[in-house]
Amino acid sequence: MADQMMAIAILLPVAAGFLVLAVRNYYARNLIVVVTAVVLIANSILMSLNGPFTYSPDGFNWGIVITALDYAILIFYLYMGIKLRNWLVLVFALTQIIPLAYFEFVMKAHIEVTPAFVVDHLALVMTMVISIVGSLICIFALRYMYDHEHHLHIEKSRQSRFLFWLVLFLGAMNGLVFANNLVWLYFFWEVTTLCSFQLISHDRTQEAIHNAARAVWMNSTGGTAFILAIIYLYATKGGSAMSMQSIIGGGLQGAVAVLPIALLCYTGFTKAAQMPFQSWLLGAMVAPTPVSALLHSSTMVKAGVYLVLRLAPVYAGTTLSVVIAIAGAFTFFATSALAVSQSTGKRVLAYSTIANLGLIIACAGINTPLSIAAAILLIIFHAISKGLLFLCAGTIEHQIWSRDIEDMEGLAAKAPLTTLITAVGILSMFLPPFGMLLGKWIALEAAYAVPLAAVLFVLASTLTIVFWTKWLGRLLQVLPRIEMPFEKLSPSYAVPLWTLVAGIFIVGMGVGPIYQNFLLAATNDVVSGNQIIAVGLNNLILITPSFLQRDILGLFPVWPLYLILIVALIMPLLLIGLKPKELRPVYMCGEQTGGTDTDEWLAEADRKTKFQLGGYYYQETLGEKKVNPWANAIAILLLVIMLGCGVIVI
Amino acid sequence: MMIKQFLLVLIVLVGAPIVGGLLFGIDRRITARMQGRYGPPIIQPFYDFFKLLGKEYIAVSRMQFVWIYGYLVFMIAGLIFLLMKSDFLLLVFILGFASVCLVLGGFSTKSPYAHFGANRELMQILAYEPVLLLLAIAIYAQNGSFLISEIYKQDKPLLFSLWPLFLAVLYVLTIKMRKSPFDISTSHHGHQEVVKGVVTEYSGPYFALFHLAEWYEIILLLGIISLFWTNPMWVGILIALAAFLLELFIDNITARMTVGWMVRLSWSVGLILGIINIAYIYYTKGV
Repeated sequence: MADQMMAIAILLPVAAGFLVLAVRNYYARNLIVVVTAVVLIANSILMSLNGPFTYSPDGFNWGIVITALDYAILIFYLYMGIKLRNWLVLVFALTQIIPLAYFEFVMKAHIEVTPAFVVDHLALVMTMVISIVGSLICIFALRYMYDHEHHLHIEKSRQSRFLFWLVLFLGAMNGLVFANNLVWLYFFWEVTTLCSFQLISHDRTQEAIHNAARAVWMNSTGGTAFILAIIYLYATKGGSAMSMQSIIGGGLQGAVAVLPIALLCYTGFTKAAQMPFQSWLLGAMVAPTPVSALLHSSTMVKAGVYLVLRLAPVYAGTTLSVVIAIAGAFTFFATSALAVSQSTGKRVLAYSTIANLGLIIACAGINTPLSIAAAILLIIFHAISKGLLFLCAGTIEHQIWSRDIEDMEGLAAKAPLTTLITAVGILSMFLPPFGMLLGKWIALEAAYAVPLAAVLFVLASTLTIVFWTKWLGRLLQVLPRIEMPFEKLSPSYAVPLWTLVAGIFIVGMGVGPIYQNFLLAATNDVVSGNQIIAVGLNNLILITPSFLQRDILGLFPVWPLYLILIVALIMPLLLIGLKPKELRPVYMCGEQTGGTDTDEWLAEADRKTKFQLGGYYYQETLGEKKVNPWANAIAILLLVIMLGCGVIVI
Repeated sequence: MMIKQFLLVLIVLVGAPIVGGLLFGIDRRITARMQGRYGPPIIQPFYDFFKLLGKEYIAVSRMQFVWIYGYLVFMIAGLIFLLMKSDFLLLVFILGFASVCLVLGGFSTKSPYAHFGANRELMQILAYEPVLLLLAIAIYAQNGSFLISEIYKQDKPLLFSLWPLFLAVLYVLTIKMRKSPFDISTSHHGHQEVVKGVVTEYSGPYFALFHLAEWYEIILLLGIISLFWTNPMWVGILIALAAFLLELFIDNITARMTVGWMVRLSWSVGLILGIINIAYIYYTKGV
């Protein structure tokens, strides 16, 4: 039963992808995607209820298929590198292909990892996030891509191709979190990179292709580090070290462990777009918005933090761990500062994503049960809130055809419903009683163990308040007398948006029970490294010792959160009596031209002049040109120290 | 126990604005005397408040009143948190939310003056929030808990180990009270502000709500300062009142500075004080 569900999670998106590619009818295609989405969501929930399990496919030799596909992907990169004359893509394809060939043919690696798939509580949490948030984004993409092509006047529809890569992405991500065999994990890793390349370059503009190539070469450096780690592990520990479970379950100990783990963490950093790799995720903004939503919320970057988090027990207590904590906290701080200076909505969201991933990685580096719990909470809350915000950005874009925050001025009057949903999304990122704040709250307590990280957390979370409030402020600015009927949204937009809004409230309010039923077990799994006990040959049972002796949430006074929630809920009720009975024009030193709905005033020589307001972006102090040089330098230094930790120990 | 706490909350909720209003009355009187004027009666803020309440409900945008109400409600929520001796970190977050409400109130109009004020208020948050969060971390480092009730259990006052942060919190008080040199987003006395800054567009009952929220805010802030000396409690309250009087003095001897100067000062001096303080606690107590 469980293995079928796992097969559905990985293979259904692949099958649906090919089906979508074949079907050219708009409605039939939509039906396929919607059905796939519903099945994936139901499947992930059933899987979580069913609990952890392990599985090894038998009969067919999947290893050969995967190796062949590995080479296919890498050769495709080689081809793209030559075709685009992008030497970085070419070089980093070679640095993967040569070691891989060495590993296969010279070392004649014989790998038999059982079980090939281990689905523990962390994997279950991840697959829920991937399947639910990811599927909703796919549904959103149906209408979005239709509008997108309509707007660009594209003759020959390429929606099928787009949906193929989008849906395939979910399958690859599910495979990535389930895989226990490192070589297979590497394969799924490469598939997600390939999907992101295809999706970012979808619009075929010069900029899109250029940015997609950058995403590939940056992630290929990560892929290279991944292969080097595999080779190193195989050379020192043999085939048994190819199992993720044996690595995190204490199979690797002492000095030998540090270098490959540092390499794998580097791989995680590239995928999670941590500084200095942030530019690929920022460049990914050129893609249609569902791509950004998918990359930022439930897939791709979450793979990076997943790997770092998964390896947490191996590097616990080492210097490497502290360096990871500081590197993550530094990214959190620097990108939060950069976000303040951005005037493009999607770039603010992108920097905020990188910042939050930094926070999650810092939590993994702090490496106490408390911080690991915070990291998992943040993964969930961030996926929901950021998924919602990107979908809002897409909806706004298709209403005003701009991504600029200045163009969103007064959106509350033009599209009040979208503004309302966006406001919920923005507030859920940094205000009580929503989940992100709960995560930050726990993270700050956990940060006690690494004081420098704690200080960076403090600065970063303050900057977070500034850029979110600034953006929300631009949306809300309205003239006095404007009627605000709610606009109509296509169901393909409305369903994912409202589901995610509901998700924010349900997960936010139900954090207690959710924590008890899922997260406590997931935290235990991560902190302890899973302990696998073999029963029979191919029938393994996953047993996790209870590592967390105390109940983390019990330490926090949860009721005050509910108090705030009640306050927030009764607020609208009390407001009715306070409604203004009359609206008047704003104060303009008595030089207003009169009407309440005009924004004109009498300037010099009594000439009627429209007054305009703009946001502040603090370019002189926090602009990319100012911050990037030193921030990247520090980030590279931290990265060198991180890898240096591995080398010096040996 | 429950009933006793409930009564305490009720008394403070009613009493806080009265004391807060009186403090502002005293402020106006003392300031006047320092400037060689006679000054209004001490209960003048209440006269103003009730007069404003009686005015018509006029606004410049439909959203405006939602935010000023949010400012008031979250300020009260913060005060309740303090009374219930709950989590200090959460208290700081709530205080932040209250200020964000005020900023959004300014942004939700198309008024140049309100926008000036809102942007400046946002910079004020940027200036003081890190200091308060560092205070929370320092308290955690000292007591092993963010809970305010834990502070009350300690015999040794926090002031002894946290005096650098106490200095930092003193200027946070100046920023939060919007007193010179930090009366940047809006100002109490007609100094040199851009009209009335962030609250330019509030009038009548809505402006009264703003005053009410400010009264709660001053009590909340002085309450936070009193945490530096909790045993016996009256010493802490005296320290808080002394800090209040000190602010009035500073207000009258300094001129307003620019936003950039405020943020730079806070992010250099304030943070260094905080970091030194936390580093010292780590050094003495160990991680």
